[in-house]
Amino acid sequence: MLSKVARKIVRRIVFAGVPFFFVFACSALPQSAEPQKPATEAPPAHRYANMPDEAVPYGKFSKPYKEWYVDNDTLDYFGAARERVVQEIDTSKTVNIGFLGPLENNYEAPYGQAMLHGAQMALEEANARGGYGASGMSRGRPYALKIHNDSAQWGASSTEAVKMLFDEHVVAVLGSIDGASTHIMLRVSLKLEFPIMDTGTTDPTVTETRVPWLMHTFPDDRQQGYTLADYVFKQLKLKKIGVFRTHSRYARIGVEKFFDEAKRMGRVPPLEVKFERGDQDFSTQLRMLQNAHIEGLVIWGEAPDAARILKQMRSMGMKQPVFGSSRMAYPALLEIAGSAAEGVVTTSPLDPTRTDPQWQEFRKKYQAKFNEEPDAYAAYAYDGMNILIGAIEKKGLNRGKIMDGLREYYGKTYDGVGEREEFDYTLNNIAPLALAKVDGGKFVYLPAQRRESSAAHSGAGAP
Amino acid sequence: MKSKQMWRWFLGVVGSLALLGPACAQKPPLYTHWENFTTANGMPDEKVLSVAVDGDRVWAGTENGLVLIEKGKIQKVYKPEDGLANRVVTGIAVDPASGDVWLATFGGLSRLSGGHFHNYTNLTSGLANDITYGVAIQDEYVWVATTAGTNRFNTRTGEWSIFSEKNAPIQEPWSYGIAVAEKKVYVAIWGGGILEYDIAGGYWKPYTDPDGEMEIVLFKNQGLIHIIVSNIAWNKDTQMFWASTYFGLSGYDGRNWHNYLSMDSGLASDFINAPKSRGDEVWACTDKGLSYLNFKTNTWVTYRPNAKTGRGEIVITAPDKKVTTMETSTSLAHNYILNMDFQGDDIWVATATGLSHGIRETTRESNKEGKVHEHTTASR
Repeated sequence: MLSKVARKIVRRIVFAGVPFFFVFACSALPQSAEPQKPATEAPPAHRYANMPDEAVPYGKFSKPYKEWYVDNDTLDYFGAARERVVQEIDTSKTVNIGFLGPLENNYEAPYGQAMLHGAQMALEEANARGGYGASGMSRGRPYALKIHNDSAQWGASSTEAVKMLFDEHVVAVLGSIDGASTHIMLRVSLKLEFPIMDTGTTDPTVTETRVPWLMHTFPDDRQQGYTLADYVFKQLKLKKIGVFRTHSRYARIGVEKFFDEAKRMGRVPPLEVKFERGDQDFSTQLRMLQNAHIEGLVIWGEAPDAARILKQMRSMGMKQPVFGSSRMAYPALLEIAGSAAEGVVTTSPLDPTRTDPQWQEFRKKYQAKFNEEPDAYAAYAYDGMNILIGAIEKKGLNRGKIMDGLREYYGKTYDGVGEREEFDYTLNNIAPLALAKVDGGKFVYLPAQRRESSAAHSGAGAP
Repeated sequence: MKSKQMWRWFLGVVGSLALLGPACAQKPPLYTHWENFTTANGMPDEKVLSVAVDGDRVWAGTENGLVLIEKGKIQKVYKPEDGLANRVVTGIAVDPASGDVWLATFGGLSRLSGGHFHNYTNLTSGLANDITYGVAIQDEYVWVATTAGTNRFNTRTGEWSIFSEKNAPIQEPWSYGIAVAEKKVYVAIWGGGILEYDIAGGYWKPYTDPDGEMEIVLFKNQGLIHIIVSNIAWNKDTQMFWASTYFGLSGYDGRNWHNYLSMDSGLASDFINAPKSRGDEVWACTDKGLSYLNFKTNTWVTYRPNAKTGRGEIVITAPDKKVTTMETSTSLAHNYILNMDFQGDDIWVATATGLSHGIRETTRESNKEGKVHEHTTASR
């Protein structure tokens, strides 16, 4: 039996406690698994990669729950690399920069050699200016390039990166061309934290990982695919386009964005066929394309292979217009295909017929030094190395701070020999591409068609 | 009569309290005391990439060797000169049957047995590549995540298997992490989503990002949140796997997906290096702190050092998004979290500047312990 006082206390506790209890208990119960609205309805400031309207994924059906790569903190870094001291770097007599590119025993070696030459030229010019930390009459430390061949056997680039980091104590790495190799090196960079200046891959996914250790100068396949789709479907108004590509990761990833835009425009390519690099006979695949009644053909591959395809195609009486990737815009196409190449249109990351003094001076020096014409791989490597050296000079010999220097290009431009490069929030160059057309036995360059750029939104200018 | 009614009513309330009590008790565990192992007290490198608990022993993989911690002290540091395959130790697994310690390194796979190392490399074994990121034990098998595919090594027969784009449903072979469940093995693939291996059937099943696009999440709980998966954890209590990505956190219960982004939850950041899970706990090692989710109550807690004060910060996000901040005198070594493991109620956390031991002191979890700031807007 409770006493009167005790009853009073219990009543007070119960009455005071019940509402509190229910509020507390309810908040602790499981929450609904129903989809929630995003926290903000505000539209992003820019469209990623200056994507054309037709290429926006699900654009006709739904607004995405979340869009990546459109915020200016996309690659922000919150680790401890800025405070990390690598004694070997500080005491080294040279400032070492790693180079990873296909140089031998590799189908991509010609591009790798050009990339190496471009990087070497920029480095030698920096050393001619006195090297790292030069001021007035006193010379600084010379830059040294630590060259590694990218054998492009999957996985090899990661071991090369580890060697560069621990045996050669590089402050940063320039490379590579193969998309898989670059991805593999990027994974190592996330663990070991070093900047990568990627000046050669066309794989658009290397800048889409949010790993904050990579900058990319070479116009990628996203931009190439959009440019080609615009030309083929919007300007020429073709409908049935066949695709003929190498059996490689380069081409598989390469045609993806062209396919995406074609698909979203209701122009799904009726047939995609493949060939192996170095193949001589394409008649089976060409007959399949012929039977598919294509109005045009996109080839994604290298110039010598494309040239042999063109010759065989024309000899079979196939007169459809042919379009292609940037690796077709090489003299080998004209030399091997001859008149069969007439009318071919490819994307072109570079217009070598430009007359601006910067390009002309670079071209002249490059020709004198290497006895060859510079191509896009040389030009973007030269620009990439200059951007990298600029960041090193500005930020010092700390890998984290060098990457900060590269990150200053968020939404900014760089006027290099590859012309104006425009960097988005993934540090990818999204400048529009020119087209190259074979006309009268030579390449004629059609000016880039400018889509609205995020760099333009954000007050472009060098950092 | 009146007192009888009162008794009945009182017993009813007490009964309700007893029934609903467990729900109230689901207050998130708070780690209010941290002990840090850094270069200042014997760690061979500030960056700790991996950690694994084996009873009283704690193994930590750093950028410059393997560390054994026991009884609150660093007992031994192993380096390549001791036989370790490489200085960079990215993954650790202890075989419960033999006690052998298996180590994923940037120079191959190392096995520490009886105080001696035996190394497996690309040249000396069936290891797909010397750059390895994760290792896990499934009975007599050792699974290894490498840059060129996923390996399975039979420790009894010495047979190696390689799973890559050539014999598994993936386009890229770059595996990053492995989690072993009772009947399955899960592999986190960079650019390939999640692969599920059926142990009995010996076949693979892929889980990929259903919107197929790198640049978007089409719907909140669409399926796997992104194709680039950085690591994976299995929760045997809830029978769920949790995948970390640099684009949010994904959990799968066998029927539904549960995705979390920093914009719609208390997750500290979408950039997640690794998950860990047990009971109702889901942990996310992010670049902006260590986040905890009570999956049942949808309550989030993030631990991070306060850069200005050097003290610890605990950010509690209630299901109604109400945010409470607490300060503690000790803190995680760094906000950039790479990995973690459980040791009873305690946790061990690999960070960019040291290994942190989170000690749960239930008596000190009250608000009296630190300054408390409550506000209703997200603090990130």
